[in-house]
Amino acid sequence: MARISGVELPSNKRIEIALTYIYGIGRTSANEILQKSKILPDIRVKDLTDEQVDVLRNVIESDYKIEGALRLEIQENIKRLININCLRGLKHKRGMPVRGQRTRTNARTRKGPRKGSIALKKKSKMKK
Amino acid sequence: MARSLKKGPYVDEKLLKKIKIGGSKPVKTWARRSMITPEFVGHTIQIHNGNRFIPVYITENMVGHKLAEFAPSKLFRQHGGKKAKEARRKP
Repeated sequence: MARISGVELPSNKRIEIALTYIYGIGRTSANEILQKSKILPDIRVKDLTDEQVDVLRNVIESDYKIEGALRLEIQENIKRLININCLRGLKHKRGMPVRGQRTRTNARTRKGPRKGSIALKKKSKMKK
Repeated sequence: MARSLKKGPYVDEKLLKKIKIGGSKPVKTWARRSMITPEFVGHTIQIHNGNRFIPVYITENMVGHKLAEFAPSKLFRQHGGKKAKEARRKP
């Protein structure tokens, strides 16, 4: 059972993969971390020794911004865009796609479920 | 795609010159593509949006953005006719 920076504890996986359960660490940075701490990526988390976990913890804490700190940074960046009232900020405020995607169709991830009279009609039909 | 670092930021030269001269009147400009540099901070610039000039007071946070980002050229009116109009009035 390994607990790194808060609540992460995936057990039966290879550490290479298990590290990606931490917010802010993907496959690339996971491999970087393992290289720095000189641990093979194939070891299962349950087979790690306590010292190895400690090394991992140190490497991650010193070099990477993860979890809460990272989320906060992202939130602050968005807040900055909104505060200076630029186009990107307005798009964030509206919940529209920010990077120039089309909005005539699609963009449902940002805009959320369809609303409007036609969509509602279709929905009620499906219920019947 | 981002601009090549080799070239450095694009700043409209005429606009920069005008701002450096100063004066009480805000500067009118069509140079929406110009980057905001630290010299702009504290000035009010009237940015053309294709229809009229939108006055924007430049603060420190805006450095590094383009002028166009602060003068939207498209106006979105809500969909939905009467219902939407009423909904808009309420808040």
